[in-house]
Amino acid sequence: MKPAPTLSSAFLHPAGQSLPQPLLALRKQRAAALLGMPLPTRKTENWKYSARHLKLADDMAISLPAEGKTGTSLAVPGYKVVFLNGVMLPEASEFPDLDGITITSFSDLDEQEARELAGRLDHTLTPQSVQLAQLNSARFEDGLLIRLQPDAVLDQPLYIIHEVNADASGSAFPRIFVDAGRHSRLTLVEEFISSGSNGQAQVLVNAVTEFCLDEGAHLTSIRLDMEGDSIQHIGATGVRQQRNSRFESHCVGFGGALRRHDLQVRLEGEGAECKLNGVVVAQGAQHYDNHTNIEHVVGHCNSEETYRNIAADQAHVVFNGRIHIHPDAQKSNAEMNNKNLLLSNGAEIDTKPELEIYADDVKCAHGATIGQLDKTSVFYLVSRGIGRREAHVLLTMAFINELVAQIPVPAVRETAQTRLNQFFEATFQEA
Amino acid sequence: MATTDNEVKELIKREYEHGFVTEIEADTFEPGLNEDVIRRLSEVKREPEFMLEWRLKAYRRWLEMDEPDWAHVHFPKVDYNAISYYSAPKKREDMPQSLDEVDPELLRTYEKLGIPLHERAKLAGVAVDAVFDSVSVATTFKEQLAEAGVIFCPISEAVQKYPELVQKYLGSVVPPSDNYFAALNSAVFSDGSFVYIPKGVRCPLELSTYFRINAANTGQFERTLIIADEGSYVSYLEGCTAPMRDENQLHAAVVELVALDDAQIKYSTVQNWYPGDEEGKGGIYNFVTKRGACIGKNSKISWTQVETGSAITWKYPSCVLRGDNSVGEFYSVALTHNYQQADTGTKMIHLGKNTKSTIISKGISAGRSSNAYRGLVKFGPGAEGARNFTQCDSLLIGDRCGAHTFPYIESRNKSAIVEHEATTSKVSDEQLFLCRQRGIDPEQAVSMIVNGFCKEVFKELPMEFAVEAGKLLEVSLEGSVG
Amino acid sequence: MLSIKNLHASVEDKEILKGINLEIKAGEVHAIMGPNGSGKSTLSQVLAGNEAFEVTEGEVTLNGQNLLELETEERAREGIFLAFQYPVEIPGVSNLQFLRTAVNAMRKHRGEEDMNAAEFMKLAREVCKQVDLDPSFLKRGVNEGFSGGEKKRNEIMQALLLQPKLAILDETDSGLDIDALKVVADGVNALRSPDRAILMVTHYQRLLNHIVPDYVHVLAGGRIIKSGGRELALELEEKGYGWLGIKDEDAADAPAN
Repeated sequence: MKPAPTLSSAFLHPAGQSLPQPLLALRKQRAAALLGMPLPTRKTENWKYSARHLKLADDMAISLPAEGKTGTSLAVPGYKVVFLNGVMLPEASEFPDLDGITITSFSDLDEQEARELAGRLDHTLTPQSVQLAQLNSARFEDGLLIRLQPDAVLDQPLYIIHEVNADASGSAFPRIFVDAGRHSRLTLVEEFISSGSNGQAQVLVNAVTEFCLDEGAHLTSIRLDMEGDSIQHIGATGVRQQRNSRFESHCVGFGGALRRHDLQVRLEGEGAECKLNGVVVAQGAQHYDNHTNIEHVVGHCNSEETYRNIAADQAHVVFNGRIHIHPDAQKSNAEMNNKNLLLSNGAEIDTKPELEIYADDVKCAHGATIGQLDKTSVFYLVSRGIGRREAHVLLTMAFINELVAQIPVPAVRETAQTRLNQFFEATFQEA
Repeated sequence: MATTDNEVKELIKREYEHGFVTEIEADTFEPGLNEDVIRRLSEVKREPEFMLEWRLKAYRRWLEMDEPDWAHVHFPKVDYNAISYYSAPKKREDMPQSLDEVDPELLRTYEKLGIPLHERAKLAGVAVDAVFDSVSVATTFKEQLAEAGVIFCPISEAVQKYPELVQKYLGSVVPPSDNYFAALNSAVFSDGSFVYIPKGVRCPLELSTYFRINAANTGQFERTLIIADEGSYVSYLEGCTAPMRDENQLHAAVVELVALDDAQIKYSTVQNWYPGDEEGKGGIYNFVTKRGACIGKNSKISWTQVETGSAITWKYPSCVLRGDNSVGEFYSVALTHNYQQADTGTKMIHLGKNTKSTIISKGISAGRSSNAYRGLVKFGPGAEGARNFTQCDSLLIGDRCGAHTFPYIESRNKSAIVEHEATTSKVSDEQLFLCRQRGIDPEQAVSMIVNGFCKEVFKELPMEFAVEAGKLLEVSLEGSVG
Repeated sequence: MLSIKNLHASVEDKEILKGINLEIKAGEVHAIMGPNGSGKSTLSQVLAGNEAFEVTEGEVTLNGQNLLELETEERAREGIFLAFQYPVEIPGVSNLQFLRTAVNAMRKHRGEEDMNAAEFMKLAREVCKQVDLDPSFLKRGVNEGFSGGEKKRNEIMQALLLQPKLAILDETDSGLDIDALKVVADGVNALRSPDRAILMVTHYQRLLNHIVPDYVHVLAGGRIIKSGGRELALELEEKGYGWLGIKDEDAADAPAN
């Protein structure tokens, strides 16, 4: 057998050296560990369906410069932090000025803070399952540390705009770390967007966000993945939850050359719960791959997961959801549901809902479907005089909107809706 | 209610019933595997040249392959050179022509296993091919079957008598290069059953093969090939047992089914290989490739399996639904106990239009065992109007076992519909208490609840085997309540 | 027949029964009333031998035999029957199979032959009729998908079939409308016989209009605080538990009869 191709060492050289020393050291250490890492192939279980979409050319390895003008979609009201090509732009950002909440760029941390952070980064993710996302820790040029003191409450959502400029080939490595103290509350919106593609440029976005929820913390994470077609995005979100904390996630993804997102949640304190919603639409030759992993480490925790996907044209959508109940995690409740619609015969959907259970007194269930719309619903609409095609369009939109409607921030809902409407218009116009 | 849990544990202990050894003189090859061994094997079996070539090709392919490691099972590496690849009871020159010529010791063995072979006591309505270690020792009801035009004989006999059928279909469903164990089997398979049902014939009897591993340090590599010609029907059953030995023994079988237009094959397995002892010592490694091809339109292949034995089970009876309107079914009960490990499931490959498949899998884990369902449902671009329904349920008995579900679902046709559901449950204390309050023994209560859990699968088994399977679960579960 | 002396029982180290004394003779019908949380259900579960409850003190005998030494199923075979407040579902196991197994376990205990299928079927149909259950229920999974009322009737049907010495009815009236209540009561009345005792556990007195008890006991805080005849129940209905100085949080949302 041919040896598997390895990650080119070109990808292991960060440009900026402006970070505090402990973070520079961490980066160096991570880079050394990744040297010679085999790239995933279709035989790599967790990249089985996506390896063929991964194309890492050496000229994509350099960090994109942290300069240039930002896009126009920044008319976001309220608190926001703007990242351009993985580096924070303070002048474009608006920070909340509230007691108990600090938002600091990695490069502004003092030595002591940086050392503490370096000791905590990467502990929310399982390295072997996010092999490529680990690259972020070897390469981040900047990052954002969000700290909430106990009982701190952010009164409005905090937006983080991750913009990448695709005028030239290169990479961006945005990094966020959220440390939510006891009983704190936060809604974080992350928007991934791109600007100025010249069509030839090849761009990799490698974003990692980590959440640590202390006892009783409530955190809502909303992720809008709306980068341009040519961008290859490999990202990961890691979550660790202590007692009675609640994490809610809403991901809305639009396909692209390569989209891979890993969402990993560890329920480590009794009474913790998480709710994960996800929506993906892909058209043309786009790709999207969501991997989720929920670890019920201790008993008496609840998880609820709902993902819905649509693939049109020649698009390819993948969902892999894993629930892992550890030994002695009795009285765990886990429910996962994944529904998919294939709108064209050239498209492909692959789904793999997994259960791994090592405790007997648990309630775990998953359901997955791929296929047509509910016939009785179609019939109901048609019987009211609605055309068959229109009925299909309505129900397909409803299939996605059911989850979009649950996003708790109206402005984000609207943004998502606008993009979704464009998708539906394009998908249904010619048929 | 920890006390009830302990009781449940108490309930699942019982000796393996079929663990005895038959004292019989045997011709056994020295352990080891190389081209010479394969040549000798082929010679002993008086095979035509094409067969030897086929075996050698498979062997060379095997040498280039790696043992698969993706299954959710753990075991020390098998030393393929420590295994003997052929063991047969000593006998006269040729195969037995009639049952009178079969060694009485062998007849007694099968009788003890509940499979009487001699004329007086034959199982009514079931023709049996008895395979002992590497060879078929007897086949019952040969004449009646011949009258209907049905061929049912050891595959080694078929290689000689029906070379054209063998050459056409052997390896057509599971090519030697398919996987590591299939390649090994193709190189060294010793015996197994061959079935051919001619056009339009409904096989008048249930056909059955009973596999028995007896000799120590041997591997059993049987090969079964069933061809159902246009418009025919056959129901086939297989049973398996082995003596209790401390060493692990390898069983790497290949089963190929071919269904032509409008043909139907129903294949049922009650697998009760020696599972090893309470500490997980000994037991059979059951690495089996079973696949059916619905190559004809409107054909149907149905797999039903009850897996209670083996230290490790690695088995995915599958259907390739090529013919339009063809149907694939998989009904499975897999029970693991003590340190048993099972990774089993199915693949339903939908290629033809309006193909349909159903998967019902019931996994029961007890003790410290691990029980995984692994399955693939795939719709090719041409699978217009195809449908699948999958239900995977796990039942856990005790808090030291594992139950896992790994379903892969792939679709490339927009009109295809798949529905997959999985649940997990336990034998609840409330259920046990209700049964006991009505005067029912806890053991009986657990077995009743487990049988209820498996009902959808048992109803697919031929009548007498359904009863057998129910009892087998009772036996296997003894001592597992906990 | 049943003699309970100074019975103490606890669950998860919390004492629920704090010294129950009760004598029940053959042919008698006793009702135990009391507010929620008084220990009524615990008493029935303890008598039937649910291991979730630990008996810490006292003794219980059935016709002189020490009941507490027996396993749940042994008690059942000696004639203790508990009609559950919330009967559990057992998917895939048919009512018929379940009941036949139970009947034959009892018969075996008495040294009798198994009842043959035809005979059993006939008997099962008869008792179904008595509680107005369609015989098709016999083929369905035990309590699987049964409505609340059907589950309760199914419990009484089983009592009729198993012919216990002591039938304990745990809140058998809860969740029943008036028609269903009447059917269940008729079934229970059919159980009354000179050699059988019945112990009814109930929150409300309405069941006692249909099944007239010989004795009524009020259970509160894990002890029987008052005993009397039928009239005690009527008095309770009229005056409420408060009359006896007991707080009953649930009395306010009691359903209208």
